[in-house]
Amino acid sequence: MMKGTLVIAVVISSVYALSAQAAELPQWHGFVEQAYAGRISQDRLTKHQDYNMLEQRVQLKTRYAIPGENLFSRWNSVATYKGDFLLDEYFDTTGSYEVREINLAFSPTRTIDIKAGRQVLTWGTGDYLFINDLFPKDYISFYIGRNDEYLKKPSDALRISLYPKTVNIDFVLIPYFTPNTMPEGDRLSFFDSFQRGITGRASERNAVKPAWQTENMQYALRLYRTFGSTEGALYYYRGFDPSPRSYLDEANRQLFYERLDAYGASVRGSFAGGIGNAEIGYYRSRQDAEGNNRLIENSILKWLIGYEKDLGNDLKVGAQYLFEQKLDYAAYKEALLSSDYFWDEYRHLLTQRITKLYKNQTVMVGLFNFWSPSDKDGYARASCAYDITDQWKLTFGINIPWGEDGITDFGMMKKNKNAFVRVRYSF
Amino acid sequence: MRYVKVLIMLLALGIIWTKVSFSSDTLTPEEIVRACYARFYYAGEDMRAKVLMELINKVGQKRVRELTMLRKDYEDGGNQKYYMYFHRPADVKDTTFMVYKYPERDDDRWLFIPALDLVKRIASNDKFSSFVGSDFSYEDISGRKPEEDNHTMLKKEMINNRTFFVIESLPKETSEYTRRVLWIDEANFLPIKEEFYDRQNELYRTFEALEIKDMDGILTITKRAMRNVKTGHSTEVTFQEVKYNLSITDDIFTERFLRNPPQQWLKE
Repeated sequence: MMKGTLVIAVVISSVYALSAQAAELPQWHGFVEQAYAGRISQDRLTKHQDYNMLEQRVQLKTRYAIPGENLFSRWNSVATYKGDFLLDEYFDTTGSYEVREINLAFSPTRTIDIKAGRQVLTWGTGDYLFINDLFPKDYISFYIGRNDEYLKKPSDALRISLYPKTVNIDFVLIPYFTPNTMPEGDRLSFFDSFQRGITGRASERNAVKPAWQTENMQYALRLYRTFGSTEGALYYYRGFDPSPRSYLDEANRQLFYERLDAYGASVRGSFAGGIGNAEIGYYRSRQDAEGNNRLIENSILKWLIGYEKDLGNDLKVGAQYLFEQKLDYAAYKEALLSSDYFWDEYRHLLTQRITKLYKNQTVMVGLFNFWSPSDKDGYARASCAYDITDQWKLTFGINIPWGEDGITDFGMMKKNKNAFVRVRYSF
Repeated sequence: MRYVKVLIMLLALGIIWTKVSFSSDTLTPEEIVRACYARFYYAGEDMRAKVLMELINKVGQKRVRELTMLRKDYEDGGNQKYYMYFHRPADVKDTTFMVYKYPERDDDRWLFIPALDLVKRIASNDKFSSFVGSDFSYEDISGRKPEEDNHTMLKKEMINNRTFFVIESLPKETSEYTRRVLWIDEANFLPIKEEFYDRQNELYRTFEALEIKDMDGILTITKRAMRNVKTGHSTEVTFQEVKYNLSITDDIFTERFLRNPPQQWLKE
């Protein structure tokens, strides 16, 4: 830990020295953070039995509106850079650097915005539930208690936004596939069908990413507009399932990301004294459209409804219901072998959020619950964050996934209960 | 005949003169509060300001919120749109916030969190909730409709050679306060002081205009403070740059510019 602190100190002081020398340069901001998460119960399957996060992180970011009299400034160009230096002591690494954003945003005409480069992409109406947002996520970060920022992974993409009178259009081209980061056993134990149960380091499976070639490019489209206070949107995605759910080669324990088309729609607006939202998505599994290939994930129908209300005194509550249906279920059942694990046709998931602020909004207490009556599992996330000053923030929290079975989304995570603490200095 | 004409003219002038000089006396308390509401919350057709908020707790510890605010009026005393871009503190830098204010119903509010590329719709039925942790509520920021209270003139008061209407307002429906006393400058209808009383009829918050300047020909409260006398917490707000009637276009107040802050309005 000493080494980490030293490196961080050197990085910070050199950045300050640099920015002090040249006042003309863009301003740098960011934070330094120390995070630790202890396991609530030991997990002998993973690399460390007692904890699943111990890390120091430095984030540096800048946003620079290009000045002067040139094409870039006429196009209101803004360059953004954000990078994280991470010392992940869980894996005894010497440190890694991740560029989270490096992009240029500009408006060549009054009705076109373009953003090119590495960027975080988000759309859709769910709260921690994603139907039409098929951009990559990091579920390891989510379960171990990193900041919400790290649930979203950046994509290398070209985003073109058009604003004609009638409807706004977002078109995203992602040349290179970035998968979700899913539990892999070293840090978080999970269900591995090759190991026939909840597995940790013993997992030997690997997921094969689609090659970088023209036919593997991903496209995402959103059409949206407002109708008074209500926002409506239509979505289309052509690419791959971001989580590896299909089998490429069972003998070699290989999974892959099956091709996926998704069609969806959403509405969000004022409703019954709060905010209501509804979203639907149809996932068409292009390599198993009939549903009769036991190795490839079927098509799926998903929809959700949600509601959030402000009860006053800085107390907000929200609830959601998500419905999922595996389509062509008869064909799927028919194709299964007797030794195969199988999943139910329907999944029902309820979520609840409650957030309360205290002490002039410097203390935030939050509880988020997932509960699936059909999977008989759930996941409670509770946290308390205290803004000690404008710079210092202290966050505590717990992650409690639970479930009857070891194969459901949250049930498979049940050995990974933890309590975390993060201390952050922002500048 | 000539004398009669002159006499009539003099009389007419006298009548006009009396009317002008006594006009503020004939105004009802409702009209005064309405004029104050229009002057304070609807000055100009639109406005841009760099706003510095200092949140000070009872032991003197200070927090700072700095933001650029754009406001556009659609009708005096009616609908408005607000756009805010946060410069400070560091952990919320680049966050943007947008409000469509409707006097007749709940606001529409959107928040954009750049780290997540997330446009969040914010539930907004509590007008009394604190704005960014300050002692100002959303209602203090965007105004409370005069029709929501019954107003009575308590007195006229001279302070530093200026005359103020002192008006008491009692909410018609349940509100955060049970009584508010408002000092309005007779000459310009700006509010220079407010006192808020709670259910026990105890003073709990006071508003004070600390600095008034002529900005673009419009008298503007450029420094103001809200103090919570019960908790000892206070907030001082300074409008560092104020410009009116800039012809801010409608499209600024859309998701497009929530995601991509409009450079032309944010340059420092």
